[in-house]
Amino acid sequence: MILAELSNLALSHFLMTGAILFTLGLIGFVTRRNLIIMFLCTEMMFQGVVVSLVAFAMFHGNVTGQTFVIFVLTIAAAEAALALGLVVLLFRRRRTLDAGAWAAMSG
Amino acid sequence: MLTAILLFLASVLGALALVLLMPRPGRKLGLLGALFAVTALGGAWLAVALRGDLLEQLMEQTLGFPSVAFAYYYLFSFIAIAAAVRVITHRRPVYSALWFIMVVLASAGLLLVMSAEFMAFAMVIIYGGAILVTYMFVIMLASQNEPEHEDDQPDYDRYALEPLWACTAGFLLLAVLLSVYFSPASVQPNPAAAMTPDKELIETHLADRSLNEETAELASSPSATPDKLSNAERIGLDLFESHPLAIELAGVILLVSLIGAVVIAKTHVPNEDAVARGIDDPETPMDESQAGGATA
Repeated sequence: MILAELSNLALSHFLMTGAILFTLGLIGFVTRRNLIIMFLCTEMMFQGVVVSLVAFAMFHGNVTGQTFVIFVLTIAAAEAALALGLVVLLFRRRRTLDAGAWAAMSG
Repeated sequence: MLTAILLFLASVLGALALVLLMPRPGRKLGLLGALFAVTALGGAWLAVALRGDLLEQLMEQTLGFPSVAFAYYYLFSFIAIAAAVRVITHRRPVYSALWFIMVVLASAGLLLVMSAEFMAFAMVIIYGGAILVTYMFVIMLASQNEPEHEDDQPDYDRYALEPLWACTAGFLLLAVLLSVYFSPASVQPNPAAAMTPDKELIETHLADRSLNEETAELASSPSATPDKLSNAERIGLDLFESHPLAIELAGVILLVSLIGAVVIAKTHVPNEDAVARGIDDPETPMDESQAGGATA
């Protein structure tokens, strides 16, 4: 669209949305007790970071920020694969998704 | 100053709204929480608009383009934030995952507003298509029998853990982030960071770039012309010109996680059948926290 070169007005708009998404993901990660929802919330934090990265890329008029999104997606995919594998493993041991069921691991 | 106060109040109201929306036993205050949330979001945007109004006028006068795209910004941003709140407040994991797809679609819309088409479509395909399907699959795999009533949900889905403190901490973080974003109003784009002009890039790297018949139709669109690169072409050039090692590392990370996922999936779980039948295993007794969680 027409926002190719913009002042920091648009930058602060998009950064605010990114920050809100990140914060909501963080709160969800801390409060929810379901392991799957917790990892879903980390994905939401990634979303906030992606919006911020692309906003900075637009602001500075280059595409490095957008290139970094590719690496964010890579890490998100790797994290999803490993975390969900672990969640299934934990579920097979205790038949529950409650994060509190594994409180003994915190020592 | 007014902007800062407004933003602070909006953050506090947002925290309160989230506390009310969290799953909890007893009275349902979700509607009140939703009202608070909408008010907080409106306040935050009002603050941005107040501060941005002058700049926007200046922009329209000097650069001469209207800010139609801002309508889309507000729309997508609202959808993304509302869906994000639903993700972390919904009691059923499946619906949380579905709302997260909404977040992905809305932030893809935001990327489109910022004219990052390639990343927007990659997000929809990778997040909405691949990662979320994996999540849904695991949720289905790891859920007990679908409860018919909301009260039959397991405890860990019905009660949030310390919502008040978590929301306080989260919105303090948000307030700090926003104050940093909004105080240096004089930030200007770094001219050194700006990308080399398209024409130069085409001459140095894409000398034999031709728009053949198949792409001629595409080329007739303003996104890619003989002396103008499309978004995907720019990202591809930047990726392979500036970050070749990072690409290799990303590939290695994907390979490692692939192997790791296979190893994790094939791990032998002792007495899995006994656990499934609900028989207490003398070797791995249920600890107190789980017993407490089951009865709480």
